[in-house]
Amino acid sequence: MITDVTAAAAPLSRRLFLEKLASVGGSALLMAGMSALGFGIESAMAAPPNLSGGRGKKIVILGGGMAGLTAAYEMSNAGYDVTLLEARSFAGGRSQTARKGFTLTELGGEKQTCTFDDVLYINHGPWRIPYHHQSLLHYTRKFGVPLEIFVNDNDHSYIYFERGSGPLAGKAIRKQEVAADLRGKAAEMLAKCVQQGALDQQLTGGDKEMFLSYLRREGYLTAKDFQYVGTDGRGFEVNPGAGLNPGKEAAPYGMLDVLHSGAWRTLGSVAGFEQQRTMFQPVGGMDRIPAALARNIKPGIIRYSCKVEKVAQDADKVEVFYVDGQGQRRSVTADYCLAAIPLSVLRNIDLACSDKFKQAITGVSYALVGKIGLQMKRRFWEENHHIYGGHIYTDNPEIGSITLPSTGYQSQKGVLLGYYQFGANAAKVSAMTPAQRQAFAAAAGQKIMPEYADSVESSFSVAWHRVEHNLGGWAQWSDEGRKTAYPTLLEPDGRIYLAGEHLSYLTGWQAGAVESAWQQIAKIHQRAQAA
Amino acid sequence: MSRLLPFAAFVLALGLAGAAAAAEDGAKLFADNCSACHQPAGQGIPGAFPALAGNAFVQGPPSDPAAVVLNGRGGMPSFRNDLDDDRIAAILSYVRSSWGNRAGPIAPSDVASARTSARSEDAAAALQAH
Repeated sequence: MITDVTAAAAPLSRRLFLEKLASVGGSALLMAGMSALGFGIESAMAAPPNLSGGRGKKIVILGGGMAGLTAAYEMSNAGYDVTLLEARSFAGGRSQTARKGFTLTELGGEKQTCTFDDVLYINHGPWRIPYHHQSLLHYTRKFGVPLEIFVNDNDHSYIYFERGSGPLAGKAIRKQEVAADLRGKAAEMLAKCVQQGALDQQLTGGDKEMFLSYLRREGYLTAKDFQYVGTDGRGFEVNPGAGLNPGKEAAPYGMLDVLHSGAWRTLGSVAGFEQQRTMFQPVGGMDRIPAALARNIKPGIIRYSCKVEKVAQDADKVEVFYVDGQGQRRSVTADYCLAAIPLSVLRNIDLACSDKFKQAITGVSYALVGKIGLQMKRRFWEENHHIYGGHIYTDNPEIGSITLPSTGYQSQKGVLLGYYQFGANAAKVSAMTPAQRQAFAAAAGQKIMPEYADSVESSFSVAWHRVEHNLGGWAQWSDEGRKTAYPTLLEPDGRIYLAGEHLSYLTGWQAGAVESAWQQIAKIHQRAQAA
Repeated sequence: MSRLLPFAAFVLALGLAGAAAAAEDGAKLFADNCSACHQPAGQGIPGAFPALAGNAFVQGPPSDPAAVVLNGRGGMPSFRNDLDDDRIAAILSYVRSSWGNRAGPIAPSDVASARTSARSEDAAAALQAH
């Protein structure tokens, strides 16, 4: 690191200088965050389009996930004659919550029935809402869905990296320790460079002093000689207390030990835009949001347990053929169709559309994602380890992170997220039976906290790529796909429109589904008004 | 010559043992990495996951199936960073010779050349997503 910064002592732009700093403090991440921020402001919508005068025009919506529900609510309120066909017996799509009695049978898998205790649950689909997802928050506010904080960062949580080397590899260490020691030492080394004049071309006069003051503050360096010797924020061996106990500070880890462990990979100057606090979750489970939308949609609009087989259209109308809950083949005719179902599912439906549109539907891949909720008989992570919500990070990609519940603190039991993995790792874990997945997750957690495996009472797991009606966690557009297929799908094919998280730059987020629905119903409305 | 012969025999024996191990690994590696979707007997699930049994594509030129395993396609993930050339070759050789499939084995070198010629996938190793 020192070498890197010193080598950069040749003429250097301010921007380049900041980028060099990235290797120490992560300002590249900051810049990525800033660019994402700029983009988010351009694309974000905070309120639904103002539609009125639907005059009974008929709309058929396919799919009762967040996009379909949003469209059904807004369009029926605007005077459209809306029918929504939902394949499942409940609303929400991927916005699900598993609690006692919830069942899931993955394709090729055995039936799981959730046996969690009353009030316990796992959000095995979407589980957190960033403060800037104002579109989704529009509905939680409107329908009075109570929110609570989702703890998305916890200083006192563990980092357990076992694939590095050195004395800290394979050891559960606290996030606060890693952050304090690595950033402290990095600040100390950079301060040394500045003091030795290595950055005199970039920093002159008072700026040099100001920058040193910043480094002292950033790294908790000693006032006189800019040394990092530890800081209270990294935690104590003995916490301060009453009477004659001022506490005993713990000695810092060696910088190279932290580097070699790999634990530094969890650090960044600032959380990515999508992961920043404040983060919310609905009180009682994510399905409270689709349930509130469904409750506020006029009765009769949503037809449950209706599986769409075919969508036909001509110059005047669109006709959707489906099988209802009784196994009867039926059809519904409408002026326009909004298909708000994942492209991974839509590609298997007989859709009357151009070859270009059909080709575009196949032009995106879907994320393989696995999650497991583990019911623990005791909240040992709170009682023994003093961790209240937040993530334990691992470098085992088949586990990813372990997340402690941001609700029910200090109660007897809790459900934590035992793994969250993607891609090839999710493919691998999903080949296990539910019982094997539970055992696998328990063994991994046991390495981090000794109470873990013995505390597991039951589990509920999902592999989204194996879930019928979803076939994947979320759309993953390649740069190429964004240029070719994506623009095609944003426009209607005849009388068929598409909506969902996959037609946004907020893929995988409920806000993407809501905003895509808003965008498409505005287009339908404009056309219906002109017709 | 007399010194070389036993060595050649030794190498040959090693090679055979290696081939046997690869066949065994192919079945195990397939079960671990592929069977969740393509199903244990390669029959797939209609409308969701393609069948590999009787599949012409997987029995075609080695570079085609190798590229799909490396890069992913549709709902299938990229295994580029998760499986090395030997393992991918073992899996594909198993798939090409099982459930009635009758195509020849794929060598690790076939996978290696597909790996270098194919576009490299961005492997954003995110700590978390969404």
